[in-house]
Amino acid sequence: MSGEQAAVSAAPAVRPARGWRAPVLLVLGVAAACYLPFILTERAIFGVRLSNMQLLNIGLTQVNLMMITLLGALSLNYLTGIAGLISIGHAAFYAMGAMAGAVFGTQLGLPFPVVLAGSALVGAATGVVAGLPSLRVRGLYFVLSTFALHYIVVFMLSEYQFRFFDVVGIPFEEATLGTFVLDTPLRWYFFLLVLCVLVYVGLRNSLRTREGRAMMAMRDHELAASAAGIDVRILRLKAFACSSAIAAVAGTLYSYYMTNVNAEFFTIDFAIQFVAIIIIGGMGSLAGSLVGAAVWLLLPAVITGFAAQIGSTDSAFGTLLTESKPQLVNLIFGSLVIVLLIFAPGGIAGIGRSLRDRLSVRVR
Amino acid sequence: MAAMLEVEGLSVGYARKGLALDDVSLVVPTGGIVALLGANGAGKTTLIRTITGLLPMHNGRVAQGRVRFAGVDITGMAAHRLVRLGLAQVPEGRLIFKQLSVEENLQVGAAFLPRGKVAERLEAVFALFPRLRERRRQAAGLMSGGEQQMLALGRALIGGPRLLLVDELSLGLAPLIVEAIYQQLMSVGETLGTAMLIVEQNAHVALEYAQTAYILDRGRIAMSGDAATVGASSAIADAYLGLAGEVPADV
Amino acid sequence: MLPQVLFSGLALGSIYGLVALGFALVFKATDVLNFAQGMFVVVGAFLAVTAGTQLHLPFALTLMFIVVAAALIGAAIQALLIRPLTGRSMLSIIMVTIALSIVLRALIEIIFGPQPRALTTPMPTGVFIVEGVRISQLHMLAAGVSWLCLGLFALFFRFTTFGLQMRATANGHEAALVSGINVDFVNRVAWAIGSVLAAIGGLFLAQLQLASTELEGIGLLALPAVVIGGLQSIPGAIIGGLLVGLIEQLASSYVSPRSADIFVYTLLLLVLMVRPWGLFGQRELGRV
Ligand SMILES: Nc1ncnc2c1ncn2[C@@H]1O[C@H](COP(=O)(O)OP(=O)(O)O)[C@@H](O)[C@H]1O
Ligand SMILES: [Mg+2]
Repeated sequence: MSGEQAAVSAAPAVRPARGWRAPVLLVLGVAAACYLPFILTERAIFGVRLSNMQLLNIGLTQVNLMMITLLGALSLNYLTGIAGLISIGHAAFYAMGAMAGAVFGTQLGLPFPVVLAGSALVGAATGVVAGLPSLRVRGLYFVLSTFALHYIVVFMLSEYQFRFFDVVGIPFEEATLGTFVLDTPLRWYFFLLVLCVLVYVGLRNSLRTREGRAMMAMRDHELAASAAGIDVRILRLKAFACSSAIAAVAGTLYSYYMTNVNAEFFTIDFAIQFVAIIIIGGMGSLAGSLVGAAVWLLLPAVITGFAAQIGSTDSAFGTLLTESKPQLVNLIFGSLVIVLLIFAPGGIAGIGRSLRDRLSVRVR
Repeated sequence: MAAMLEVEGLSVGYARKGLALDDVSLVVPTGGIVALLGANGAGKTTLIRTITGLLPMHNGRVAQGRVRFAGVDITGMAAHRLVRLGLAQVPEGRLIFKQLSVEENLQVGAAFLPRGKVAERLEAVFALFPRLRERRRQAAGLMSGGEQQMLALGRALIGGPRLLLVDELSLGLAPLIVEAIYQQLMSVGETLGTAMLIVEQNAHVALEYAQTAYILDRGRIAMSGDAATVGASSAIADAYLGLAGEVPADV
Repeated sequence: MLPQVLFSGLALGSIYGLVALGFALVFKATDVLNFAQGMFVVVGAFLAVTAGTQLHLPFALTLMFIVVAAALIGAAIQALLIRPLTGRSMLSIIMVTIALSIVLRALIEIIFGPQPRALTTPMPTGVFIVEGVRISQLHMLAAGVSWLCLGLFALFFRFTTFGLQMRATANGHEAALVSGINVDFVNRVAWAIGSVLAAIGGLFLAQLQLASTELEGIGLLALPAVVIGGLQSIPGAIIGGLLVGLIEQLASSYVSPRSADIFVYTLLLLVLMVRPWGLFGQRELGRV
């Protein structure tokens, strides 16, 4: 029997189940998301104390940074996985966001929400510029143009930094939303959580619009999309503007969260980590971005945990764990990307999907 | 007479698609010339790709059946090894090396021959297609369609194959040129005793030269027999007009 | 000052040209833009450290060790990582090479530690002065060896059967298979050669500076070099390398050292916008 038939006959069987499952899952998810920061700050769950090991050595700050990274990953997945435009210069938009934050916030002293809005605009404008080569060149050549753009933007940021600040970096003030001061990780957590959910829901809904479907059509068959009366070139620029606006906002948030930013942060490796995250999570799957970002968060933490346990023994493995931790993290991260690319091109989201398909077939 | 090529119960599919070939069997006798006819999309090229080991390149796979070449099972064998065994092809779209010169194209085809034989074989191809000799230094991509087809043929013949598969030789060429190239091809067949499987959408041309013919219709053999019988039958019109039998069910 | 700058630019550019040639070869043969080429340069540098400084091999053996080991590494990468991805999306293939460079860097830093290593080889380090221009013997040697390699490859492509097969494969994989070429083997050899050329570049760069993973950035300059010269053109890669070397030296002498890369990448962007097929490529091939 063909897969299509299976899907058709399976759908009604699933739907009644979904009727109650979705809201329950949603409520549970919201509850968990709200309780998580308290677990991490109190280091206890429902009054039961947890060891560092049990908490995987994760602190709230790491979770917050993960959410900022998630914004970058979401925006890249939108651009690459959904609109089919490959960029390995995504760190450039973060850098633009940092620069916009420095000008609007640190130098002009505008309020934080205005700074974020300004940064989104600057990001969108940069995105349009970055997307311009896509009007002329395709494929590899376009990827290379994003690569070149990365170096040019980061150079601009470093020139700016040296002109107005110094080698130490650009300082950022405390972020405030009206009277709500983002002065603790806990407050940042809820702010970022809301933002991530908004961006996620926004991107998801945009995929259901005519333009969103056209974008996916463009990814799969450019000619077919053109034939359907879609101006592919405008659509590409829009995708770029939207994606880079989000990434720039993430860059501003990153700068404010770190309170100090240096042009040297935004290396090509910084850009590549986003690509790695969406490959691990699953290209074209927005939910996959979350999985990828979670791996990005957990991997170093788990290795630190191992190091703490084994580190005291003076085995070769112990020294390796303690002395070369960042290298080990990169080694595993890079290998994971390679293994997934070869054996599971859909990333972890793809693996999940095929497992679910198999299960649902078995149930029936 | 032993068969040069035997295809037995071959079923082939491409990724995410139903079967492109469904239980196809076909025989090319030693030294024989066989025509394989069928409408666009019937699966002719897929059959050639399966025989010549190009299927993996196109994400296709053999679901069932086998291919024997001179008695040896070659199902799934790598393409370059088949060429060295004497199974050459003129692929759909010719696929000459556009940036290399005419002579270099031919040399690539002769690369697996012993060094001493190359010059001699090159001469033989030039004798067959004098146009190629005139253009030997020219970049292959700059020649006319007919000349490019001659080059593709020359490249296939230079290794002295025992079996030659030709896919849509006439495509995009003027009838007079098609006629001339086929004449040359037939003279080669006679002198070297090369067996041939000639794939054509253009049934008249192929039937003129072949001894036997097969009609492929949506992945299945709709009819086979000697060329005259097949040519006179109504099956041929049906296959092209899409009236023959039921649509083969998926899987 | 200008002659001095021109000399260093051309000498460094020769090394870039060598690395870029390896890069272009891999691209032409296998259609893979190898972002790990910069890391291959680093691998070459540390192969030199292993053989020369740690195993105390004589220089001739060190050279052989570098060439053989680099070739094996390149071939193994083709077999294990690149071949399984045949026919997959461009992003997958690019990302595999990027992930590979992350893995290689981590491995090198774990094995050799994070500190840069000095290279001890009997290569000449003296300087002679011609009309006020300081000519470093090492630069001269690097340039000389680069040109020798480039010349040998030109002959190899032009006059050997295997060279012809490589050119044919670069022209089209299916066409090559149809003509009886073992495309997989040709690709593996292309990766081996690309890796060896990067490693030789790495040997010289490590001697001129220090062996460290920082050399990756220099090795990655092969990328703009190749594109500027023309992705499909072998001579273009070499000229692109020279051009990048000159631009770097001119910019760091007359503008500022920090700006050197920017001139290169701006030129890259301009070329991509105006002449995507590169300064020396053929127009028809620039369209993708
Ligand atoms: N690379 C491919 N991937 C998926 N389907 C293919 C591929 N090549 C051919 N097909 C499909 O297989 C069927 C047979 O095609 P083909 O063998 O090219 O027919 P013919 O040569 O007779 O015109 C067609 O339905 C075609 O769409
Ligand atoms: Mg066909």
